[in-house]
Amino acid sequence: MEQSLTPQESLKLIESMIGQARRNFNRMSFYFLLWGFLLISAMVVTYLLRDSVSGWQHGAAWGMAGILGGLISAVRGARDGRKELVNNPMDTTIGWLWSAFVITMILLIAFSVRSGVDPTIVITILTGLPTFITGQAMRFRPLMLGGVLFWIAGVAMLFVPDALGVLVIYCASMVFGYILPGILLKRHEDGLRTA
Amino acid sequence: MGFAPLDPILHNQLRLAIMSLLVSVEEGDFNFLLESTGATRGNVSVQITKLKEAGYILVKKRFRNNYPNTVCSVTAKGLKAFEAYVLALKGYLGQQAG
Repeated sequence: MEQSLTPQESLKLIESMIGQARRNFNRMSFYFLLWGFLLISAMVVTYLLRDSVSGWQHGAAWGMAGILGGLISAVRGARDGRKELVNNPMDTTIGWLWSAFVITMILLIAFSVRSGVDPTIVITILTGLPTFITGQAMRFRPLMLGGVLFWIAGVAMLFVPDALGVLVIYCASMVFGYILPGILLKRHEDGLRTA
Repeated sequence: MGFAPLDPILHNQLRLAIMSLLVSVEEGDFNFLLESTGATRGNVSVQITKLKEAGYILVKKRFRNNYPNTVCSVTAKGLKAFEAYVLALKGYLGQQAG
């Protein structure tokens, strides 16, 4: 195909190809849905067992959710990695952002436990950061709004006097911050694949 | 001011499409280029070889899930040539508008 191009045609072609490559984000909806459901389950189990367990057992449901989610994410990530057609620099950055988030979260949980403070509020606020930035990087507004919602939910928890209130706010923030954007993102990704 | 010459390697629809795709990603595999350009396998393969021979892209052949997999990435020379091409295009458009 040795056809001649006008300068306008060349620039139009460059713009459309660059746009196409940048839109090619790896599929991320799975992780938001997985972690959304897992963390809601952990929160509900922790709430239901709050009077019947003591000490480290309070964190058992979170630990199990973390291990299960980590294993499933690792397997899925390795599988998707083998299928990826393109390695976008933004995918790499988003991957590092979430890795840094997990490390920060583990450290904060360790400090909170040591200080005898419930980590739920600070973790909820922290969750807003990677969620918001991921939404911004992908130009995906529901995820950006999800990030903002985590910040609002974290602050709201400060003003709720009982565990039930924290449970309701936490679950709502997960539904609207992870699960709903995850469902919308899945539709968006499916649309891109069939386009 | 005269028109800057357009790089003949890049002034071709498919080669320009391939370069435009690759400058936006770290690396892209053959199927990605095939799907994104909508061109035939043979044509993409020929243009990749021309870009590789010009030193504009790096082509790595490896195995993925026991199947051969070709991965391309833009070299520093390729990036410089692409930027010069875009600059030259802007010169053409600017002179046409003016």
